[in-house]
Amino acid sequence: MNNQQPKAPQKLPGFGPGGGRPGGPMGARVNAEKPKNAGRSLKRLLHYIGRSKMLIIALVMIMIAVTVSDLAGPALQGAAIDTIKINGGKLSVDFDAMIRYLCVMAVLFVFSATLNYFQGIIAAKLSQDTVYTLRNDLFAKISKLPIKYTDTHRHGDIMSRMTNDVENVSNAISQSISSLISSILTLVGAFSMMVYYNWIMALIACVTIPITITLSGTLAKFMRKYFVRRQKILGQLNGQVEEMVTSYKTVVAYGKEEKAVEDFSRTSEEFKKCSISARVWGSIMGPCMNFLGNLQYVLIAVFGGFFILNPISFMRRLTIGNIQSMLQYSKKFTRPVNEIANQYSSILTALAGAERIFDIMDSADEVDDGRSQIKVSEIEGNIRFEKIDFSYTEGEPVLKKFDLEVKAGQKIAIVGATGSGKTTVVNLLTRFYEIDGGRITIDGLDIKDIPKDTLRRAIAIVLQDTVLFSDTIANNIKYGRADASDEDMKRAAAHARADTFIERLPDGYETVLAESGSDLSAGQRQLLSIARAVLADPKILILDEATSSVDTRTEMHIQQAMVALMKNRTSLIIAHRLSTIRDADVIVVLKNGSVAEAGNHEELLALKGEYFKLYSNQFAGIAI
Amino acid sequence: MKRIFNYLKPYKLFAILSPLFMMGEVLADLSLPKFMTVIVDCGIAQNGDVSGSAFGSRIMKLIYGSGPYGSMQVIVTFGILMLVTVLVGGFFGVTCAYFAARASQGMGHDLRRDAYGRVMSLSIEQTDKFTTGSLVTRMTNDVSMIVEFTEMILRMFVRAPIFFIGGTVMLLTLDLTYGAVLLCALPIMALTLFFVLRKAVPIFSNVQKRLDRVNSVVQENVSGARVVKAYVKESYETSRFKDANKELRDTNYRVQKIMAVMHPVLNVVMNLSIIVIIYVGGFKIENVGGSGMTAGTIMAAITYVSQVLMSIMMLTMMSQSISRAMASVKRIEEVFAAEPKIVGGNESAERGEIAVAFKGVSFRYPGTKGLPVLYDIDLEVKKGETLAIIGATGSGKTSLVNLIQRFYDATEGDVYIDGLHIKDYKLSKLRSKISYVMQKSELFSDTIANNIKWGKEDATDEEIRAAVRVAQAEEFVNGFKDKYDTFISEKGASLSGGQKQRMSIARAVVRHPEILILDDATSALDLATEARLRKALKEEFADTTVIMIAQRIASVKEADRIAVIDGGTIVACAPHDELMISCETYRDIYNSQMQSREGEKELKGAESNE
Repeated sequence: MNNQQPKAPQKLPGFGPGGGRPGGPMGARVNAEKPKNAGRSLKRLLHYIGRSKMLIIALVMIMIAVTVSDLAGPALQGAAIDTIKINGGKLSVDFDAMIRYLCVMAVLFVFSATLNYFQGIIAAKLSQDTVYTLRNDLFAKISKLPIKYTDTHRHGDIMSRMTNDVENVSNAISQSISSLISSILTLVGAFSMMVYYNWIMALIACVTIPITITLSGTLAKFMRKYFVRRQKILGQLNGQVEEMVTSYKTVVAYGKEEKAVEDFSRTSEEFKKCSISARVWGSIMGPCMNFLGNLQYVLIAVFGGFFILNPISFMRRLTIGNIQSMLQYSKKFTRPVNEIANQYSSILTALAGAERIFDIMDSADEVDDGRSQIKVSEIEGNIRFEKIDFSYTEGEPVLKKFDLEVKAGQKIAIVGATGSGKTTVVNLLTRFYEIDGGRITIDGLDIKDIPKDTLRRAIAIVLQDTVLFSDTIANNIKYGRADASDEDMKRAAAHARADTFIERLPDGYETVLAESGSDLSAGQRQLLSIARAVLADPKILILDEATSSVDTRTEMHIQQAMVALMKNRTSLIIAHRLSTIRDADVIVVLKNGSVAEAGNHEELLALKGEYFKLYSNQFAGIAI
Repeated sequence: MKRIFNYLKPYKLFAILSPLFMMGEVLADLSLPKFMTVIVDCGIAQNGDVSGSAFGSRIMKLIYGSGPYGSMQVIVTFGILMLVTVLVGGFFGVTCAYFAARASQGMGHDLRRDAYGRVMSLSIEQTDKFTTGSLVTRMTNDVSMIVEFTEMILRMFVRAPIFFIGGTVMLLTLDLTYGAVLLCALPIMALTLFFVLRKAVPIFSNVQKRLDRVNSVVQENVSGARVVKAYVKESYETSRFKDANKELRDTNYRVQKIMAVMHPVLNVVMNLSIIVIIYVGGFKIENVGGSGMTAGTIMAAITYVSQVLMSIMMLTMMSQSISRAMASVKRIEEVFAAEPKIVGGNESAERGEIAVAFKGVSFRYPGTKGLPVLYDIDLEVKKGETLAIIGATGSGKTSLVNLIQRFYDATEGDVYIDGLHIKDYKLSKLRSKISYVMQKSELFSDTIANNIKWGKEDATDEEIRAAVRVAQAEEFVNGFKDKYDTFISEKGASLSGGQKQRMSIARAVVRHPEILILDDATSALDLATEARLRKALKEEFADTTVIMIAQRIASVKEADRIAVIDGGTIVACAPHDELMISCETYRDIYNSQMQSREGEKELKGAESNE
């Protein structure tokens, strides 16, 4: 049932440096999340980025150069315009000087653009490499996690860490960090330049900064309220679609189409209203910043004009060109302030994402400290469970002093009501879960001493919830033994009675399974899993309700085919249908976590206990 | 295309007002450099002498009467004018945003509602074809994409051209020579954008594909962790992931490298234009002796050129979203274009004692070739009868019952319910007669009571309790802390298979259907529970026609008749005892489960030993 997870909605690819993000900067600000331990996550993230030290050094140096040449632009522009002089109401120009300035400007711009290009490439390389490593590490970690982790965490959540969170980190590296650094550099540079021209004017220009920060903070708070609500309703809306569309047969069968549309329409209406409010609040920010920017412009013009007319004795005389430059700088001034505020929150978002990623990375690995040198081929298949205690959640024991001995080559069946702990036995033998007390041995060797690889190579399991991969049928069967020949593979399919339906498919064994085999019926999927286990040729074969969706006649054929196969191997069969396990060497009846009865079919029937009850129920069908 | 944007019609007023107000904002933005010119030229450079600027002198005259004016007077006056203009422009901008949001969100709501309504009217074969996953993304991502795009058009697509035209006009009024600068700069810019985008856009879709691949590997590994571990394939999977991840990284890097060209080139074009403008200004002052050229006009020209070039950049950035939005429009249109394949009739005069009748029915799934799934089906089920269906995996049992609710239509032959051809029924009427319980229960994220109410909206608490009792679910429902108000999360992930099946059965029986179809709906129940369920059904639903598919002989043994399906057709249909004599297939099935009469003997033997 877990392969029904919806695919996480994917973000569209963001544009590289120089591209606009669809949501605009405000989107990032509003969706900001607070990481719990920003400092630590940042340090670890920096460690990741820091793997390519050369790139980082190059990037920072280029960024400094770009910022400096960007800052020199307005100064030169101002100087060039200053070559125009007014002499008694008549204009004149120092043309040579102007051309000189313009040439310097041209060289500078081309230079800075070239650097800019490299900056873009390096930033892209840096972020892609970092994210690549991060993803690989995360995936490697996920494959090392104990089954308990995937059993107890929502798969959608794990998926979203791999996709959304990594994406956020990637954006932060490729865009936010460079833009934050260059914003700070620009801010410092522009301010220094203004101080250089006239420090009083520089201070005047600063007047708007606190207003900008307070205003954007207040507005963001309002917007956040609406955006959060909007996200929530959107989640609801998508949830409704998801649920109704995936359960469409039920919707249709109960004639609920209209009601579904009605419910949906109501949520959609609410979403509409909330979106409009969010949009209006969002659109106020732009004009406000625009106003503040222009206010600064006017202030500089007014005070600049004032200082030109009333020069201060202890300061350098201002020129029109100076004013022009300062006006340009003032523009360079407002933008970074805004930018820093935006980037700050998107970096926080990324850090929150990084935190969730590291959260997985910090989870304990599967314990695998077996030192035994035993080889898979040396395992014979004698299994002993000795006084096993086990519980999934503390205080709710599933197995209590469970004892079981299986000799090599035997066929053992475990029966019992739902929840009696049948599957748990499998989980423990394969060390998907660790026992709380007791000992499990294979050929007298504690399984804790056997390296997991060896242990699991000796075992093949077929589960009730089949797992297939989006690959060809042939490769799915060969999953346990990639080097198997096609003949062997087809023979395994025939043993599992899967050959008939596979051969009827248009591409036969080369048919690619869509969406992990969702286009096959439950029974067909089980047949494929059995074929896979057969081909793996294990010492120990575990069938956990492996034929529950296969009709009984086909199951019987499979069993007949498997008799030969099971000869030299230990097999452990868990089944609901007693017909499946009737001829087992030993049948174990589990009740409340321990063995209630054990013996072969005849012995157990003669006992007239639990097994007899189960068997007569099944046989009579209506007996209560 | 047209169909989708017709949805804007009801919001015509807003859709027209929005660009108008946007124009107001743009005009305000465009007039700012004019004010600045006066501040710089007249206020700062000429000590308040506005004679050089017709615009400046006109405004000063309007406010203060005839001059001369003080320098600060000019600066402050125009400064205030500037700020007022900004405020007015801002007001226009916010109003425009409001109208744009009203129009696009209103349209979005209507579109979403109708598209969803269409999805909810599709036939099963069409949802199969679309796949549910794709329908979900169409309803969510694609609609949002269209709404955002519409809003952007209303605000930005108008803004950019107005900026472009307005900026060009203003620039030309400053000096005609500047037009030449634009003429040079624009093609360079356009060509750069064109080539970059032409190379980058196809890669963008590649990026998406690579990302899907990465995600699907993760998905498979997370949900299939047991099998990966059981077959010790961790390193294989890790390398599979690495390959997918590497492709993603390389593709991403490739596209970002291409896009990295854009920004610097555009910057160079913009800055070189500024250089040329200053040069032209200087040249004119030097050689033509002014001709209205001043420091202020040069600065204004710089601003206008930047605005014009920026508007071009804006347009191209947006043109990228056109292709994306168009893809979404296409995907939504496909949904609208899908006319429901199965539509109901109008007749409602039923007659006859035969509840369900198949006459010469054969069926193959739409769009498939080869052997039919079902053929030569002739079957009659009487009112109140219990018919069981048994047969091998893939023999066509589910397909057969799906024809009854018209999930699909028979390829040949006819199906009748209560004597009336099912094609003559209104779909809602037809389906209200039937309750269908699937093997894979589909529950909804809601309370237990509400899930059961799906079967009958106005069911009383008593009716719900009765249904739960019949479905043998009372015990576990009462075991929950919140009983009937227990919330079922994630489509019932918190319940066991057997519990889910019993919930679905309760949902089906609460409406007291005329026909109850159980499609292997008790497979997860143990036999004793199943027997109790059958008994309860028999007692309380004697009038209901029951059609049940099952695997276990024990489940079907008691049915009035058992239809044995083999390879797509009914090979026998009779009560258990008769089938045991006459039908070899049935005997085979029986023997496979009971190991022939041995089992019976064994039981008897064990009893007599007592």
